[in-house]
Amino acid sequence: MSSTPWPFPEIGSLASSLKRRAGRRVRAWARKRQGKDPATATLRSGRVYILPTGIGVTFGIMTFAMLLGSMNYNNNLSFVLTFILIGIGFVAMHQCQRNLVGLELTFAGADPVFAGRSLRFRIAVTNRSRSPRHGIRLYAPDTYSDIHDLQPGESRVFVLPVATGARGRLTVPRFGVRTMFPFELFRSWAWLHMDIAGLVFPAPAAEAPGPPPTTAAHGHRQHDARGEEDFAGLRKYHEGDSPRHVAWKAYARSGQILSKQFAGADTSSQWLDFDGIAGFDVEQRLSILTRWIVDADRRQEDYGLRMPGAEYEPAHGEAHRRRCLETLALFDGGAN
Amino acid sequence: MAGPRGTDGSLLASLPWTLAALVVSLVPHVPFLPVWITGAFLGCAAWRYLIEKRRRLLPSNGIRAGLALVCFLGVLFTYSSISGVGPGSALLAVMAALKLLETRKRRDQFVLLFLSIFLLMSSLLREQYLWSVPYMAAGVLVVMTAWLRMSAGEEQTARRSFATAGRLLMYAVPLAIAMWVFFPRLSAPFWAVPIDTSRAASGLGDSMSPGDISSLSLSGEVAFRVSFDGPVPAPGDRYWRGLVLTNFNGRTWSGPEPNISRTARGEIRPRGEAVRYEITLEPTHRQWVFALDMPTEWSLPRTFMGRQHQLARTTPIEQRVAYEVTSYTAYRTGVDLSPMYRSWYSRLPDGGNPESRELALSMRAAAGSDRAFVEAVIEMFNRDDFYYTLEPPPLGSDPVDRFLFDTRRGFCEHYASAFSVLMRAAGIPTRIVLGYQGGEINPLGGHLIVRQSDAHAWTEVWLDGTGWHRVDPTAAVAPERIESGAGDAAFEGIGETWGFTAPSRWAHQATMAWDALNAGWNGWILGYGPDTQNSFMQWLGMSDPTWRKMMLTLIVLVVGLVMLIGVVMTYRYRPPKKDEAALLYGKFVGKTGLEPRIGETAHAFGLRVCSTGAVPGTTVDAVTDAYLEARYGTGGDAARIRLRQAVAAMR
Repeated sequence: MSSTPWPFPEIGSLASSLKRRAGRRVRAWARKRQGKDPATATLRSGRVYILPTGIGVTFGIMTFAMLLGSMNYNNNLSFVLTFILIGIGFVAMHQCQRNLVGLELTFAGADPVFAGRSLRFRIAVTNRSRSPRHGIRLYAPDTYSDIHDLQPGESRVFVLPVATGARGRLTVPRFGVRTMFPFELFRSWAWLHMDIAGLVFPAPAAEAPGPPPTTAAHGHRQHDARGEEDFAGLRKYHEGDSPRHVAWKAYARSGQILSKQFAGADTSSQWLDFDGIAGFDVEQRLSILTRWIVDADRRQEDYGLRMPGAEYEPAHGEAHRRRCLETLALFDGGAN
Repeated sequence: MAGPRGTDGSLLASLPWTLAALVVSLVPHVPFLPVWITGAFLGCAAWRYLIEKRRRLLPSNGIRAGLALVCFLGVLFTYSSISGVGPGSALLAVMAALKLLETRKRRDQFVLLFLSIFLLMSSLLREQYLWSVPYMAAGVLVVMTAWLRMSAGEEQTARRSFATAGRLLMYAVPLAIAMWVFFPRLSAPFWAVPIDTSRAASGLGDSMSPGDISSLSLSGEVAFRVSFDGPVPAPGDRYWRGLVLTNFNGRTWSGPEPNISRTARGEIRPRGEAVRYEITLEPTHRQWVFALDMPTEWSLPRTFMGRQHQLARTTPIEQRVAYEVTSYTAYRTGVDLSPMYRSWYSRLPDGGNPESRELALSMRAAAGSDRAFVEAVIEMFNRDDFYYTLEPPPLGSDPVDRFLFDTRRGFCEHYASAFSVLMRAAGIPTRIVLGYQGGEINPLGGHLIVRQSDAHAWTEVWLDGTGWHRVDPTAAVAPERIESGAGDAAFEGIGETWGFTAPSRWAHQATMAWDALNAGWNGWILGYGPDTQNSFMQWLGMSDPTWRKMMLTLIVLVVGLVMLIGVVMTYRYRPPKKDEAALLYGKFVGKTGLEPRIGETAHAFGLRVCSTGAVPGTTVDAVTDAYLEARYGTGGDAARIRLRQAVAAMR
């Protein structure tokens, strides 16, 4: 019996395509109805949707069967049991929807990642009410956050990991928050259109040609790339200075954050030039540049980036690295 | 194969509750289930729990399939059927036990919880006691808690889940009551109800063999309850007619199958006052319908009077039924008996009981008339040393001879049988009526309770010219059996069983109160059928209740209640009360006309306010100090009062 193949394969695919299309329609309708959300949104009851789950449908069928049985046996006590279960169904529906209404969601950023890693969107969910919220979960296409309870007044950051493919700005036009509390009979959810976005750097090339030679400012090759041999003095900390250059002892004494300056640090520089890489296409070149930047940053070397239409003087530090990688991530192909 | 069978202890938070739910729903079935099923279930439950606790492997598919086969065959062998409440609940229990052994994921437990709901339901189909409803509510509460435990996160304690389940159940109860009251009840089932054959029918049988039973068990179980419209008939008139036995094979009396006869009903000539009453009959699993001798009108549908004036319904009585009857304790039946029926009612098997036959012939000859002969036999039972006892010695072959001439000890069946044999031996048409005699009046409920221990057998003889006459030979031997009930007569010599000493009197009163409660329960809750519902709707003010009107009321009520629940929940999720100190400070900020910057402390804001000169510095300091003290310090109420005054003092 079971080995007989389903004779109408078209119907199955037709149904799933219909379902997909209907889902798209509904989501487009919801987006149009709700509009774009600000970075902080509070869920009104009008935008919390609810539908029974598979278990809920089973439960409904079971209670209906019990109702028929009670009618047939004319047994008043099994009527009592049946009606209690039906009542619980109604109560569960309300409780499930109320579990979401009034929640406050705030987009709390996403740290940039290299392509291929998952971009972790942080979304703070706050329960501004006097009752706990149970089993709250965020979701976006193909991804879920962990499930958490929120005590009264509690605010918790949920992480929504989104898989990344290509470099660039990754926008999640829609994510949702859902719950199946109390009995998983119903699933209530709300869609949020905050257009949350994060940056995806190009993936560092696994195999890259050697970086261009490092040139010393005084005309000789730098032997030690670290450039930390000659301590030159302290200067005020700037954002982007490496934590390992912070003068912690001085900080402990004065309470002021200072960075150590090295004479050697100024001496090495390296130009990473987009046009200098021959024999690769644009994306490969970006990957190679990423690899070089990552390596140079790890070695604490100064590097400059020359892109069609943009140029960054040799420097180092987190801010510089970030600036360079951002440029690579958002590079539009130099089509000008 | 080790992967899908391994356990990781993730079910430890919910499994005990699931097991508890199963146990609670199984307990009412235990008295009816074969011991091996209860044992198998408990074994599987304990096994499964230990597996989870020690992170062992679940049994392999082969073992489980083997167990399933064994259990299924076991059920089939025990019940020789798989439909009906008995085998059905046995199968549910077995399925739960086996499902436990393959439950690995949390969601698998849903199946177990559905099973335990079905078990609860089937226990209600089996028995409906007063305590069944609270027990069921407790069962539902445990099932719901288990249900919540299944999806609860680490942060939720079991106590919290239990409280949530209780709260949600409280919301559901008014909905359930509204639906229960207004859901239209049907008068007839859609399809035939499977009969539970696993439970032996208690009460009267369809035949009697006086020589074979050496002890009659006295069951205090209620056979039926009667509420009279007028005065209760005297104990000696309370003969509750059931079935009639006409055939005797030398040992056993048996009766004809119920058969409709309009002539039997039409030939009754009532005399004296009519007695009107309502009987609430417990399920008998037989067709016979009991009524006070002799009924003329009855309200039970599909019920007819047979040729021997016995009432029967076309289908066995599987549920408690209530019906109204009109009876006449004094009556005459028809006076014509065809020769065929005359010989049928006088037939005795060839041979057997020779001494009795001889005695009958000689006594008939001495008496001169049938009526005198009947009186002579009754006189003999009364005069000679015949005794009434519920534990008579067993009788061998020729049981009537042995009884009349040797043992002379017996209960109603022995006397009825011996009397009938004597009558038939003399050619007088005779039949035996099985039913109940007497009953106890419950002073609290005002109704009469007739118990299985009131079961009785008496005879009817045909006297030419006047028809059938009731003759109760037991009354000749033990008149107190008839006058005060079987309960007393059963304790020969001890006599006073009830009401002699205070504790037993209290016990008796408690029994009566419990019975009155049960009678109300049966009438109003279990007996809430189409008629009761109709009159209740009219009492509520619904004129001409139809199912449409009731359904509409039900929908309106349910929608209203659901909205009310919504309001209650919105209230539960209302925003927290803002701190009064924060509110007052907000007022202060509003009066200054400035906006605090993000991250600006109260002190810094105060300085800025002072620098504008809009508000006197002393007021700013007073407000700031009181605010900080009330909000973050230990100042409490005193600081809050200072703050209130300081803010109020501002213009």
